Amino acid sequence: MDQITFSSVVPQVFSAQVARLNTDIWNAETVFQKGKLYLLEADSGKGKSTFCSYVLGYRHDYSGQILFDTRPAEEMKIRDWTDIRKRHISLLFQELRLFPELTALENVQIKNRLTEFKSRQDIVRWFEQLGIADKLDAPVRFMSFGQQQRVAMMRALAQPFDFIVVDEPISHLDDNNSRVMSDILMSEARAQGAGIIATSIGKRMELPYDKVLRL
Amino acid sequence: MNIVWKLLRQHISMPQMFGFFFANLFGMLIVLLGYQFFQDVVPVFTAEDSFMKQGYLIVSKKVGTAGTISGRASMFDNAEIDELKDQKFVTKFGVFTSTDYKVLANMSINGVNIANTELFFESIPDEFIEVDKSLWQYKPGDHVVPIILPKTYLTIYNFGFAQSHSLPKLSEGLVGMIDFRLFIQGNHHEASFQGKVIGFSGKLSSILVPQSFMDWSNDYFSPGRNAEPTRLILEVGNPSDMAVSKYFDKKGYELEDDKLNSEKSIYFLKLVVMIVMTVGLVISVLSFYILMLSIYLLVQKNADKLENLLLIGYSPGAVAKPYQLLTLALNAVVLVVALSVLFFIRGYYMDIIQTLQPAVDDSSMIPSFILGLILLLLVTVLNVAVIRRKILRIWFRKD
Repeated sequence: MDQITFSSVVPQVFSAQVARLNTDIWNAETVFQKGKLYLLEADSGKGKSTFCSYVLGYRHDYSGQILFDTRPAEEMKIRDWTDIRKRHISLLFQELRLFPELTALENVQIKNRLTEFKSRQDIVRWFEQLGIADKLDAPVRFMSFGQQQRVAMMRALAQPFDFIVVDEPISHLDDNNSRVMSDILMSEARAQGAGIIATSIGKRMELPYDKVLRL
Repeated sequence: MNIVWKLLRQHISMPQMFGFFFANLFGMLIVLLGYQFFQDVVPVFTAEDSFMKQGYLIVSKKVGTAGTISGRASMFDNAEIDELKDQKFVTKFGVFTSTDYKVLANMSINGVNIANTELFFESIPDEFIEVDKSLWQYKPGDHVVPIILPKTYLTIYNFGFAQSHSLPKLSEGLVGMIDFRLFIQGNHHEASFQGKVIGFSGKLSSILVPQSFMDWSNDYFSPGRNAEPTRLILEVGNPSDMAVSKYFDKKGYELEDDKLNSEKSIYFLKLVVMIVMTVGLVISVLSFYILMLSIYLLVQKNADKLENLLLIGYSPGAVAKPYQLLTLALNAVVLVVALSVLFFIRGYYMDIIQTLQPAVDDSSMIPSFILGLILLLLVTVLNVAVIRRKILRIWFRKD
């Protein structure tokens, strides 16, 4: 997948206020290219998570058209979406969506078992780099939100992707950990030639963005 | 352990699974038992008589008060016999001849005396008896007389006697063990014979000897006393022909119709089995509901996890699979346990059936096995479909 196109997309919740929408995404033509870095800046309530849900195909409440390369999203079947989630687009959820019953490592493995993308050593090395190697076998529910964010990031990276969407990835991280996380993210994306779409409502991940978009 | 299973087994309620397991087990067992029992018991009623073809009619006169007083009315006289013989529907005709002399019989098995009794014989023309002709013959002077006993004797012996006297139960194949001594007196003669039981008949209620023995012995022990027959045997072209029953009604004749009785028995048996099986099915359906409800509950409680799995790239099929396998495993275990229990129960009642009807073909459990498998498949397919539907509702965020 080389590009994602948002063409006159308006979420239904905003349909009454189309005229007042002043964004680069909604009711506009925006193309995300593979290999490029994008920052989506928004105040809260502007539809950041909505954007993510459209890209991953678990909400379809919009008018306009979203294209994956040339293929409209509405034509995609369950199997296509599953394939996209497994191989083409990775998403670091703002609400993380980890499994509290599982350990930190299992939370990453549950994705990696599906994709068989990384070795266990790779994953353990991430844990070390992110400073939570001692939490490998700790149930993720006993970890702080900042630690959980790092686990969620690792899970998002445990798959091949053309685009990775990170939804407020560093909201609960200190500068040092943010930097480590940015480095890992960049090297993984570069290795695959993938595009990065990061969102922020203030605290932004420091990356050499190609384009900053307002939501 | 599989991480997905570790996740999805959360909230599985053991009491609910046990509830389903036992409810389904009882339902399945009742259905299978009803079916198997029917399969096993019906041959008892429909078993063909090996000595007489089905379709022979045995005709007697209705016994009324007037007849009892005159003592003659139950006999068929020659005119009546000739008239019946000439009816179009009669294809084969014979009379029952009975003994006009006294017979004392002594029956023993394995040297144990079973009964000493006075009895009488009857005979019918040999063409009505389907048995190796070399076994069914008597020449004057022979010491051994072939005999066919009513099957009820065997039942009475097996149930009433053998059990209380610790004697072996007899099957039709073991008739050689019966030692039958006959003492006949009449016309100043006295003779003893060895009775050789060659089989049992379910159709006739009297002791049969070959016609040749009957003719000789009646002549020898009570000459000149040829009594008129009280029963006739005949074959008709089409037993359901209305003309047959009309004629008999008009004449006041009666048919010994054991076939009708067995049909009635089968009818009621069928009815009872149907009711039992329906109860079993209802229990099965209810247990199916228990399972479905607990799966619904399970899916509902784990809805967040399921949705997250779908969002990180698991397909609905992969997410549904653990629950589908769970129901398949539960159903399979239920089937195996039900069949094992059925096997033991069947072992118990088959003993009784085999005593009643030793010659019954040993029907197998394969039809029940197949029925069980069909039920298993049906229930599992439904389970699988419902679970998939439930997962798809999560995919489409309908709940």
